[in-house]
Amino acid sequence: MAVEAFSSEWAQQFKEEINRSTVYRQAAKGWKWTVGLVVEAEPDRGFAESRGIVMDLFDGEARDIRVGSADNARACDFVITAPYSRWKQVATKELDATRGMLTGKLKLKGDLPTIVRYTKASQEMTECTTRVPVRWPDE
Amino acid sequence: MHDAGAGQVARRVSLVEYAEGENASPFAQMLGGLIEANVDARPEKRADFDSLKARVGVFVTDIDEGVTLEFLGGRLLVHNGLQPGRDLTIRADADTVMQLSNVKIGFARMPNYMDATGREVVAKMLRGRLKIDGLLGNLTTLNQVTRLFSVQGGGYSR
Repeated sequence: MAVEAFSSEWAQQFKEEINRSTVYRQAAKGWKWTVGLVVEAEPDRGFAESRGIVMDLFDGEARDIRVGSADNARACDFVITAPYSRWKQVATKELDATRGMLTGKLKLKGDLPTIVRYTKASQEMTECTTRVPVRWPDE
Repeated sequence: MHDAGAGQVARRVSLVEYAEGENASPFAQMLGGLIEANVDARPEKRADFDSLKARVGVFVTDIDEGVTLEFLGGRLLVHNGLQPGRDLTIRADADTVMQLSNVKIGFARMPNYMDATGREVVAKMLRGRLKIDGLLGNLTTLNQVTRLFSVQGGGYSR
């Protein structure tokens, strides 16, 4: 059943998808940092307030993923920021996350060599988002 | 305690500068930031950085964006776009550029093209998904640039 975009239910399903992925488990071996996704508000698209997705990822496992404030997400070791519609493009495979970061459509804060070392893991994590059926507020 | 000397101010000089300043493209900032972080964190890369004098273009085919890395022997000037006078130009899609940064450095400080990542890079070159213009005569430069790009550990020793 589809869940509301970037809601607690979405976070729970996203976590389950990550933990189901053997590709992610392998590619993210050694990862030990928190990741925050800042989803910036776009009221004209039905996404009224910015939200933060706080991801506790450790050694190939998603230990916890929860929805909080944008500031919660900004406090993570790695922070990726984009407006709602860009995240929707990522989740619907319209925008590849790597290309998004190289073109500045997704803004990354954090140690670059570390994120580059785990490119495969971040690509698989993006794949996991595409597997969560979502109700988009602007559709 | 470090003594900067009379009349001198101890300050960190940036290794990487951007020709377009605040208008540097996100891709330019990412590549420049990656190399700066690598050189900062890994003293063994410093010798390559200090000795390298070359203009290297990197063009990412699927975002249609490029940069020129002007290595000035201990300093790097990053330009938006492909600028004239390049010694080497690497053309590849975004995934391959990321893969290049994951090539391990092996025996005798040579990039390791024998492990899984290295073999994939070679295969992409053979299939034409990775093109390197100016390779003839600039193999040493390519190896130095690969070491500066690489975020992977490995036998990076003399």
